[in-house]
Amino acid sequence: MNEQRRQVLQMLAEGKITADEAERLIDALEREEPEAPAGAVSRSKARPKYLRVVMVDNSDGGGPSRINIRIPLQLLRAGVRLATLVPPQALTKINAELAKSGVPIDLTELKPQHIEDLIEQLDEVDVDINDPNTTVQVFCE
Amino acid sequence: MIPQLVTVGYRRPGGRWLRLYIPVVPVLLVLSPLLLLAVLAGLIACLVLRVSSVEALRGMQVSPVGALRGLGGLLWALPGSQLELEDGQTAFLIRVR
Repeated sequence: MNEQRRQVLQMLAEGKITADEAERLIDALEREEPEAPAGAVSRSKARPKYLRVVMVDNSDGGGPSRINIRIPLQLLRAGVRLATLVPPQALTKINAELAKSGVPIDLTELKPQHIEDLIEQLDEVDVDINDPNTTVQVFCE
Repeated sequence: MIPQLVTVGYRRPGGRWLRLYIPVVPVLLVLSPLLLLAVLAGLIACLVLRVSSVEALRGMQVSPVGALRGLGGLLWALPGSQLELEDGQTAFLIRVR
């Protein structure tokens, strides 16, 4: 749901406009919404295959430092499946050590399905950090 | 598809690249007798210690089939991976195709 539609519904909920007015506004918004460009459609159809991490750091005088990592999303999924093989008693020990280190995370609560869902949503990830000397980009392609 | 070619590269401070191209399938074929020997040695060790190899994995609560499937999935998903690190004149790269 886009922001304008949300605002119309908010106004309706607050009683500032009637249901008829809200319907007309939403119709008008739908008419105004531009057609998605062809490139965007093809991009949404072609699912990204790789997670890319690119970092360029020019802060050091001895030349630029670059990191360029490309990880197949399938590899992340395979890693998750492999991680599910970790025995429960090992997870308990890891939890205890994490708690001792001040990181109270219960890894037994982390279900494979949750991580699968997380990887599915990685398609949309786009992190772009621009510092005068450093650039970091995390995206899927 | 399993990885076909692994490229490992290293650029020395002088600027010269040292690249190593590893064709995975031929290397695996060459090393397969050693792998077979390692499996046999493992099975013999299990027999000598009177431990069933499957039971040993089950003792760790790891399903042998699941472990094999997981490792196979990991191997299958490797093609396309790339890691490039560059710091000044030194650089290191790994590419899996």
